[in-house]
Amino acid sequence: MAFRLTGLKVSPNSATLEEARARVFDFFKAACRSIPSIMEIYNLHDVVTESQLRSSVASEIRKHAQVSNPKVIDLLLFKGMEELGNITEHAKQRHHIIGQYVVGGQGLVQDLSAKDQGNSDFLKKFYNSNYF
Amino acid sequence: MGLGLLPSRFSRIPANRLFLRSIVSNSHRQSPEAAAAAVPPPEPTPDLPPRTPVAGARVHFPNPDDAIEVFVDGYPVKIPKGFTVFQACEVAGVDIPRFCYHSRLSIAGNCRMCLVEVEKSPKPVASCAMPALPGMKIKTDTPLAKKAREGVMEFLLMNHPLDCPICDQGGECDLQDQSMAFGSDRGRFTEVKRSVVDKNLGPLVKTVMTRCIQCTRCVRFATEIAGVQDLGMLGRGSGEEIGTYVEKLMTSELSGNVIDICPVGALTSKPFAFKARNWELKGTESIDVTDAVGSNIRIDSRGPEVMRIIPRLNEDINEEWISDKTRFCYDGLKRQRLNDPMIRGSDGRFKAVSWHDALTVVAEIVHEVKPEEIVGIAGRLSDAESMIALKDFLNRMGSNNVWCEGNGPNPNADLRSGYIMNTGISSLEKADVFLLVGTQPRVEAAMVNARIRKTVRASNAKVGYVGPPADFNYDYEHLGTGPQTLLEIVEGRHPFFSTISNAKNPVIIVGAGLFEREDKDAVFSVVEAIAKKGNVVRPDWNGFNVLLHNAAQAAALDLGLVPESNQSIVTAKFVYLMGADDADLDKIPKDAFVVYQGHHGDRGVYRANVILPASAFSEKEGTYENTEGCTQQTLPAVPTVGDARDDWKIIRALSEVAGVRLPYDNFGAIRSRIRTVAPNLSSLDEREPATFGFSVKPESNQKMSSTPFKAAVENFYMTDSITRASKIMAQCSAQLLKK
Ligand code: SF4
Ligand code: FES
Repeated sequence: MAFRLTGLKVSPNSATLEEARARVFDFFKAACRSIPSIMEIYNLHDVVTESQLRSSVASEIRKHAQVSNPKVIDLLLFKGMEELGNITEHAKQRHHIIGQYVVGGQGLVQDLSAKDQGNSDFLKKFYNSNYF
Repeated sequence: MGLGLLPSRFSRIPANRLFLRSIVSNSHRQSPEAAAAAVPPPEPTPDLPPRTPVAGARVHFPNPDDAIEVFVDGYPVKIPKGFTVFQACEVAGVDIPRFCYHSRLSIAGNCRMCLVEVEKSPKPVASCAMPALPGMKIKTDTPLAKKAREGVMEFLLMNHPLDCPICDQGGECDLQDQSMAFGSDRGRFTEVKRSVVDKNLGPLVKTVMTRCIQCTRCVRFATEIAGVQDLGMLGRGSGEEIGTYVEKLMTSELSGNVIDICPVGALTSKPFAFKARNWELKGTESIDVTDAVGSNIRIDSRGPEVMRIIPRLNEDINEEWISDKTRFCYDGLKRQRLNDPMIRGSDGRFKAVSWHDALTVVAEIVHEVKPEEIVGIAGRLSDAESMIALKDFLNRMGSNNVWCEGNGPNPNADLRSGYIMNTGISSLEKADVFLLVGTQPRVEAAMVNARIRKTVRASNAKVGYVGPPADFNYDYEHLGTGPQTLLEIVEGRHPFFSTISNAKNPVIIVGAGLFEREDKDAVFSVVEAIAKKGNVVRPDWNGFNVLLHNAAQAAALDLGLVPESNQSIVTAKFVYLMGADDADLDKIPKDAFVVYQGHHGDRGVYRANVILPASAFSEKEGTYENTEGCTQQTLPAVPTVGDARDDWKIIRALSEVAGVRLPYDNFGAIRSRIRTVAPNLSSLDEREPATFGFSVKPESNQKMSSTPFKAAVENFYMTDSITRASKIMAQCSAQLLKK
């Protein structure tokens, strides 16, 4: 089955950093454009807003902000496109989206109360897992 | 074992000889007779590199004049008189193949695998049974020796089934390894193989008797080490079989060791049968915690599951044996585990909550009660790290009511010599008289009992026993059942007193069951008086011992886990049970809030209001001190179950939530905290003897009651939360305990 999202295709290698950078922006825009339909497909309206999803996409991209090799950027872009394709294809399920982009890497337990802000590093890690 | 050493042996061959060892077929191989006849020219000058003895064995010369010199493959070695040819070869660094020989058992000499050539002897000799004589020229690598081995292998394999694909021993089988190394590449056997009826040896040892090669190691182990006459050899010739004479189970607390010593797959582990192949397993060197001996074990795991436990060599503690409880308790690690923090709701049911909520609830409640009403009890499996954390936490909350179960209401933690085995387990072998006071070592510490039995067998040491009727597997004299007998001995009215005072190295072993007695101090002072009068404690010999029961006990006393008042549990409002299941739980008042931190849903959980899941000994790094004062360490073999955390981490986290943050964040920091409290706990794998004897102890003026001593361990197979959760241990107690 072909991807419904047109314009997502593997492009030739970026020659320069500038070209790669432009491609990242294109990718980000494409992702933003598909967010409304993603909200629709996965029925996300009651758990997340569009802007939250946008910033989650942005933060995924920013994770690799320090990468300066165009080849690596191309690779990451390719992975991102694949992921976006899979999501818009409905190749994933709702909990995937929620787990990866709504709840994010912090896990389900979050110490959000003001009292917990002063917790030591040890306690924060302790709540997370036994291994640290 | 045996052939595990082979690769290292081959790697020791110098490079210039490697060429000769490459696989070629020459006339020698095609006609073995020619090979045997062709005597290789004697090497003029052996230019062999110095060899290291097999497995780093050290030779002890009791009398330097008795040293003799023999030549192994042209290499001269000095050995004491009385060594066998086999031992001489081991000293020379040559590993001789063997099936029946075992260094801790008597010599049988019936498998003939160890044949070597000795110059001027007409036939190859069975090296394990042949004493070495001065100047003997032993050759282990000649065509004759090789041919002899090949022949023995052929005979052994004649009646051995081709079972390897379905045999649990596969991969660690001496027969498999040695037939690869020394066997022939073809068989001449065309007849029908014999078959032998399997025997039922109980819930632990599985038998496939057709595989047996009649090495009689198991028979010798049972009679010599385990001290039960259950196994024996029946029949002769090809009708020979190993069996129990009558339909009878093997009832020994050491029976599992026959699995290790059986060189083939005739005796294998029943619970482990068909569960895993040994090459899939990851081994972790750890310590056993089911009793106070601290046997060295290897935990074999596959992924997150402990598959089996096998012993590790430690001459000072468990030699190479372990008790059945140690070996087979591991299935308890998979049952009844606590995996989520839980809070008991108003309806009496537990509800899983997050760590955050559980710790918040506990921290709130602990602040609502008065400091004197806070009580902490460490369980019998606790490691030193968690105990010091518990003590520090409770101290910071203002309470000093913390102790370890099994240590009794008012333990003596001041004098280390008053609660450890001062003689040391391995030095028990030097003793010639034992006085056992209120202790049944066979069920309390099977490995210590094995040591006593070894001594009794080797030197005919006398054993006197004061306590309830009990089971011993060596000769003993039942002197009496209660403290009355001790008084008779100390006053010299009892004939055993002269036995003690005439002995060269007398040993008194007091059971930790006495700690629970009201008149504990009085009993101990009588025993110490016996020790004083009988000259049991001298500058060169300390024969006064206390045999502890639990892995946590010694470290708890070293760390000073002593309750401030022995009635504190009755008035407690907040009780912190750190794996404590055997404490007096019914004494806890109804309105007290009970926190249970532990790994098994055992007795403590029934009374708990909050459950904090912790990791078991197989899942954490922890320091344990055994009954002789030797500090050892467990290492994590498998990951923790569910959302469980390490014990000390839980207390550290709780302390922070409760606002009294403990100052250690990692294992190294808590270790250095332990070092300031009990420096001996930081020297791992070393036995730290006590510095002061009891001579500095103040006199006790307690009245001694005449209540006889009680048996301390009711059921050898079920003593703690892990063994109580184990199905195999339940089967053992149903089938093997003498009712
Ligand atoms: S059962 Fe095993 S240990 Fe016992 S005689 Fe047979 S091969 Fe040897
Ligand atoms: S090992 Fe020597 S005869 Fe068996």
